[in-house]
Amino acid sequence: MNKHLTAIRHLALTEIEELLELSADFKSRINQDKAVPEIKNKVLGLLFFEDSTRTRVSFEQAAHFLKLKTANFAATSSSMNKGETLKDTILTLRYERLSGLVMRHRQSGAPTLAAKFFGGPVINAGDGSHEHPTQALGDALTIIERKGSLKGLKIAIVGDVEHSRVARSNYWLLSKAGAEVRFVGPRTLVPESTTYLSAQVFHELTLGLDGVDVVMALRLQKERMKDGMLSSVHEYAKMYQINREALQFAKPDVLVMHPGPLNRGIEMDDFAADGSSSVITDQVENGVFVRMAALYWAFHEGKGESQEKPTSKKTAVKS
Amino acid sequence: MTTLLKNGRLLDPRQNRDEIGSLLIEDNQIVEIGSDLEIDDADEVYDCTGYWIVPGLVDPQVHLREPGEEHKETIATGTQAAAAGGFTTICCMPNTKPPLDNAALIDFLMDKSASPGSGGVFVAPVGALTVGMKGEKLTDLYALKNAGIVAASDEGFPLQNAKLMQQAMEFCFQLDLPIMAHCEDSSLAAGGSLNEGGMSSLLGLRGIPRTAEEIAVMRNCLLSLNTGCRVHIMRVSTWGAVEIIRLMKSLGAPITCEISPMHFTFTEEAIGEFDTRFKITPPLRTQADIEILLQALADGTIDCIASDHSPHASYEVDVPFEEAPFGAATLEAIVGVTLTKLYHANVLTPIQTIDKLSSTPAKILGLEAGTLEPMELPIAQVAVIDPTFEWSFDRRRTSSKSKNTPFHGMRFKGKNMLTFFGSEIYRDADFPSEARYKSAMYA
Repeated sequence: MNKHLTAIRHLALTEIEELLELSADFKSRINQDKAVPEIKNKVLGLLFFEDSTRTRVSFEQAAHFLKLKTANFAATSSSMNKGETLKDTILTLRYERLSGLVMRHRQSGAPTLAAKFFGGPVINAGDGSHEHPTQALGDALTIIERKGSLKGLKIAIVGDVEHSRVARSNYWLLSKAGAEVRFVGPRTLVPESTTYLSAQVFHELTLGLDGVDVVMALRLQKERMKDGMLSSVHEYAKMYQINREALQFAKPDVLVMHPGPLNRGIEMDDFAADGSSSVITDQVENGVFVRMAALYWAFHEGKGESQEKPTSKKTAVKS
Repeated sequence: MTTLLKNGRLLDPRQNRDEIGSLLIEDNQIVEIGSDLEIDDADEVYDCTGYWIVPGLVDPQVHLREPGEEHKETIATGTQAAAAGGFTTICCMPNTKPPLDNAALIDFLMDKSASPGSGGVFVAPVGALTVGMKGEKLTDLYALKNAGIVAASDEGFPLQNAKLMQQAMEFCFQLDLPIMAHCEDSSLAAGGSLNEGGMSSLLGLRGIPRTAEEIAVMRNCLLSLNTGCRVHIMRVSTWGAVEIIRLMKSLGAPITCEISPMHFTFTEEAIGEFDTRFKITPPLRTQADIEILLQALADGTIDCIASDHSPHASYEVDVPFEEAPFGAATLEAIVGVTLTKLYHANVLTPIQTIDKLSSTPAKILGLEAGTLEPMELPIAQVAVIDPTFEWSFDRRRTSSKSKNTPFHGMRFKGKNMLTFFGSEIYRDADFPSEARYKSAMYA
């Protein structure tokens, strides 16, 4: 059985905890210049059908720390532009003997389709508006470092929830871990139909931020203006910007987060983005360690086998 | 040449006949029927004990894909699938490539469907309402009607322009031609690929709101009321659409409507992890909708059942959800799913079940089908159904060229065993061989 990481929604809490513990362990080892496990004799395909510098570099960096070789595919140069179906592309990579895939795609569910045909582990690096599991893991690690635990925390996710894969993955992770998740934004971007995500919905920013431990602002896509879901960026900023005034409603020790890239002056002002409450750079840094954990976890064969745990030094994952 | 269907349950909704008896076909025509039929000798005898003998089923909506998309289905494979499903008359939708928007294409379709190699069922063409189904200019409906179309429709590209729809209805009223209307406001539905609701938010896919359907149903019903044109609402899927249709019927609008079995069988949850076999238009809705849809079937607000058979090649459906085409191959599952979900679940009586699968769709579209009455039809159209046969639907055993069916692996109770169009055109492998014999006199 391959271990895929296509959605946080599919993970049990124990798996989430395992991934977060691995991440924390890798981080302390790297920080202390200690050895981390190596994934040898494997080649990881980085298949990005949608532009992403941050996430791709983060995965590459994670792979380098694990001595895992990578092969890069950029959508522009791939055979998808020559009319090949996604399924055929995935089958080609399978028979070129790639051992695992990290995949980003603008279509929700594309990594799920890839997982069906690839034959090795597939890690979702963001699919459409569906999920972005490693982003949520990095965010969770960041919160745990500051707050000790996720349980019982009040966390507001602010902005374009409807179209956000970051919001979905975070919702699942945080609510599974016992946090209280709120969605805050205009009715066009946080519609009633998010009923399967049983978060409390607020359309008024100050009410949504009342007493929260964490504020996560989401990136605002310019297309929303074209779709008529917002009249202007300016209006959005007036109503939903995370700034000094808005943060007064949150707890004094609130954490301010953003998955990036940040539209400075729209989703946040400088006070929020650069102030002492901001953990945005921690999110970026932790992204590398959770991706190490995700790769290690995905390549680690099923439970019960007598493989060394990463807690013992010089562990290598056997092929 | 005489064929005797013996000792079955005769179900003819048109005559309100429900009795155990026999039916005699002579020279391709039904000549006698009844419980008191004292004929034991015929060239061929089929022992139908325990089976239903019903008018051949009539499908208001099938996509045969020929011309233009023969990799999905051909007239031959589509009509074979229809025969296997118990259908003797099917309406072919106009969204072929090119669309059925001129008389020459109607001629082609009718010739080819009547030629050897096809399944032997009657194919009634539905013509395009606008040229190229582009919603800009009405087709030559008079010529199409003379070529043999039974209805006009722009099918999956519903006419958005209300003025043009009104004009189409004026023409069709004059020609006594029903319009089949797939109801969808494209500004609300654009870019959507499943119901707007729980699953769309869960999977991060753009949803199609129920209002997209209901606004268009309301508009088309109002135009029908206003013009007097018969309008057949295709593929009802929401409880709101049912209530609108109920209201507009009570006001006297000459409207009828249909439902596909997908919509009373599955909810949006069936999509699970991006399963494109459940990408249907209009989208699968919710349990609350199904409950109202079942009531509406029982009380007659929903007039009939359509397979909406929409075959697609596997490489077209093994794609990310939003890229996949809408629709599923369904013809051979209709009897199984309808009997299981409607008859055995006590939603419909046997007569009502057959009425919605045969007599009523025939009546709506003015087709010579849907009855067992002797001498009524020029050629006998009969199906024999085993209402209690339990089986698993297996797409590998279907005649359709495409295997994109949401019913694969489902357990059904009820199966079509025999189909007659004049003579036998389909006999199921599960029909017991000893039940078909030549009578002693002729042996």
